[in-house]
Amino acid sequence: MCDITKEQVYDAISNVIDPEVGFNLVEMGLIYDAIIDDDCNVKVVMTLSTRGCPLHQMLTQWVKDAVETRVPGVKNAEVEVVWEPEWNISMADDNVKKALGAL
Amino acid sequence: MFSISKDYAPPFGMIAPFFVIGSIFFFLGTLFLLLLDPGKGHFDPMIAGWVHWFLLGFVMMIIFGAMAQLIPVVVEVGHHSVDLYYVIWPLLLAGTLAMVAGFWAWPAVLPYGGLLVLTAMLIYLYDTLMTLRKVQNVTLTVKTAVAANLFLTTGIVVGFVMTLAIGAGVDVDISWWLGTHAVLVLGGYVVLTIMGLSLILLPMFGLAHGFDERPVELAFNLMLGGVLLHLFSTMIGFAFGRFAAVFVMIVAIGLYLWQVYLIYKVRARKENDIWARSMFFGYGSLVVAVLLAIPAAIFGGERLILASAWFLILGFVTFLITGHLYKIIPFLVWFERYSPLVGKQRVPMLQEMYPKGMADMEFAFSATGVVVAGSGILFGVRDLYYGGVILLIVGAGFLLASVKWMLVFGKEESENQ
Repeated sequence: MCDITKEQVYDAISNVIDPEVGFNLVEMGLIYDAIIDDDCNVKVVMTLSTRGCPLHQMLTQWVKDAVETRVPGVKNAEVEVVWEPEWNISMADDNVKKALGAL
Repeated sequence: MFSISKDYAPPFGMIAPFFVIGSIFFFLGTLFLLLLDPGKGHFDPMIAGWVHWFLLGFVMMIIFGAMAQLIPVVVEVGHHSVDLYYVIWPLLLAGTLAMVAGFWAWPAVLPYGGLLVLTAMLIYLYDTLMTLRKVQNVTLTVKTAVAANLFLTTGIVVGFVMTLAIGAGVDVDISWWLGTHAVLVLGGYVVLTIMGLSLILLPMFGLAHGFDERPVELAFNLMLGGVLLHLFSTMIGFAFGRFAAVFVMIVAIGLYLWQVYLIYKVRARKENDIWARSMFFGYGSLVVAVLLAIPAAIFGGERLILASAWFLILGFVTFLITGHLYKIIPFLVWFERYSPLVGKQRVPMLQEMYPKGMADMEFAFSATGVVVAGSGILFGVRDLYYGGVILLIVGAGFLLASVKWMLVFGKEESENQ
């Protein structure tokens, strides 16, 4: 049995910041799920704000690194990028919407 | 798997010369505007030389540099042979200088300049088409890129034949082919490329989603048809076909502008930074250029033609390029100097990596200069034209300083580590 929580995973990923907009991936609403199995393997399901993002591979690598280095006990982290549901600004936190002028 | 991003990204040292040279050509190009007489027609060798200086040395140079970075990002495959970019800029630079020298002083040099430019374009075309061959997901942007590059090559070949007519006495009706050369290069390459790329870049930077893409699909097909109609009409000597082609292209641009509005309407990022303001001014200038092109096509008139070309080149194309420089250069510098430091120390955000004050000055002087000088051309007031050009020169100086500021951001710190 693994005692890692989703909150710990999300907290770790909140250290990953998109340099274009200046917000972390969690408050942007880009992290859809974190699946933790009994052996403490973590699978992060996330999306990106645009398909043509030039930082695609780097962002996913940073998420993997953040989970593996910041959450104690993680055996292996895997990141899956999905495009459904498509991200939109309503998924972001209010502080992001406000800062971008969308609120 | 995770090394792909690095594989896609060309080395900073390979792309930087395109932006440095392009910015210098932009600044000198605005200075050279003082040498032109706006009362002369578009066949004037001084104006023709300036157009080649600006379009090849600034517009093409920056587009090629941007493409080196953007093509792999947009189509999600690596370059076929990215090292070719090391030879593209020297050939394009030498060819442009020779061509302008040919137009302004020594016509015999013109074909040699044309040949160098043609060679640079063919190398670029080879890498681009071989790269696009690897693409699995053939999107509208990919189709646009293929068509635009084929038009560019055809346009440059037509231009090269014209240089042979001027410099070596080959029997070609330059006045008949000039329009098609401009349509192929400006409409077929520059405008189509901007259409394709903006479909990626406008939603990316504006965080826009869920918009209807049908207007741009129709615009792309009409632009394609219009350019081909113009080319074939020229080949068979069909004047009405050329006239109709201009209107087909105007409708295409109208639909494209409608598409831009649809993206603008749903954008989540509403802050009006230097990029957003440059886009507003650029697209506004395109509207003015189209409105002037309609009476120019129907009634003729040198001032209408020149004013429309002015707002198209100095307003639309220039501001779309300069606006994106404030996004592309910081990204390239960040990627080179800061991406390896993520997670180890605080890294700057892209917004911090361009000089906001200088960028604001560049925008204010350049935009005012375009409007004032454009009005001078349209109404035939020389003082207005030269006054506007002075403002443009100041704006271009701020752009040059901004580009230097962005390129050296964090350089010292990076070298000390």
